[in-house]
Amino acid sequence: MQAAPASALSVLADPPARMVDSAVMDYLLIEVVNALRVSSAVASARAKKIECDMVEAGLVLPPAPAPPAKQHNPRDSASNTSSKVSGSGDEDEGVRSRLEAIGMHVGGNFAERLCRDRPLFSDSLDVIKFVCKDLWVSCWDKQVDNLRTNHRGVYVLQDNAFKPIARISSWEGRQEALKQAKLYVVLPAGIIRGALSRIGFHGTVVPEITTLPQCTFQIKLPKNT
Amino acid sequence: MATTSKQYKAIGEDLWKSRTDKINSELFALTYGALVVQLIQDYEDYAEVNKQLEKMGYNIGTRLIEDFLARSSLGRCSDFREVGEVVAKVGFKSFLNITPTVAHSGPPPPSRPTSTAQQSGVPGSSFILTLDENPLAEFVELPDEALEGGLWFSNVLCGVLRGALEMVQMQVQVEFLSDVLRGDESTEIRVTLLKYLEEEVPVGDD
Repeated sequence: MQAAPASALSVLADPPARMVDSAVMDYLLIEVVNALRVSSAVASARAKKIECDMVEAGLVLPPAPAPPAKQHNPRDSASNTSSKVSGSGDEDEGVRSRLEAIGMHVGGNFAERLCRDRPLFSDSLDVIKFVCKDLWVSCWDKQVDNLRTNHRGVYVLQDNAFKPIARISSWEGRQEALKQAKLYVVLPAGIIRGALSRIGFHGTVVPEITTLPQCTFQIKLPKNT
Repeated sequence: MATTSKQYKAIGEDLWKSRTDKINSELFALTYGALVVQLIQDYEDYAEVNKQLEKMGYNIGTRLIEDFLARSSLGRCSDFREVGEVVAKVGFKSFLNITPTVAHSGPPPPSRPTSTAQQSGVPGSSFILTLDENPLAEFVELPDEALEGGLWFSNVLCGVLRGALEMVQMQVQVEFLSDVLRGDESTEIRVTLLKYLEEEVPVGDD
């Protein structure tokens, strides 16, 4: 009987996915955000110091003051946009870009694994459908609830109960929970963007949350790819 | 009645199977790996990265222990040897689906010729966990400068153990002894009991 050796080989070629408990991932992500906040402050402080040193050594002109009322951001306190003064907006910017970078790394590599046995993608709609179904299921255990497109490169994916933010709550109330969720959703947006990019479609992904736990992602792909 | 090693293994298996919410470990490994890279870029100092990973782990551990106690309904461990068994066979199994082997050792012998102290439960006892597989290190290869810089890639695990055990009144020292990522034969973590902590009553509680 050929059954035994064939299935043993197929298990070797295609091992069942190893799993870990999802609580572990949740706890890790909470700490990732905290750790990145600290590390991005350290990195920008170091960059600022280098800039100061170079200015003192006369190698670089001192940074010009920003034009007044250039961007009225109510959260920033009297900030000079050219130097990296840490206001709440800047701190978050560092964390956001790092979260997106991590997401892109994860998404790109994970998409490679998922696409291993697939035939080539026929067009951008095909790729988006892959994201809505296969990627979403592998990462977040369900498919996207709603997909809309203007057939000109813009796609809006809607998930009514997006897993990474489904259990976010804050003792400071709904507004605070929403604010935190907007930060946590940057990593999944990065995952989507990284996956698309690895497949060959370099676009942008913008997440939006109006009410928890519903989340939409607006994907803009360049035309004619 | 002491629970045997085999029983702990069975408890661990059951807990793992009863969990409905699981994710692909590759996602976990990729996320952790990208985080370590980012920390290295930000701090530019491997010792500092080790410290930050341990700190992250500590925060995770303080939460994880609650989750663990809620799920497992295991009682207090009678001695430090039992702690080692539970950590290896139930803890690691139910969260990471791996079962490291555990080797116990008592405190180093006292210099004066007193009667030999009880082996476990005394500060100074320790156990060594040997991880055959490490879900964090799934796609990882360390470059030379990380090796020279002394990076312990999975240092977050040390923090998790320290945080979790502190919440159950044990102050421990946790450190990596070896890591296959560094070219060693095996991945080993040593947990040493420093002291038992007194239960603290919150201020103003009476």
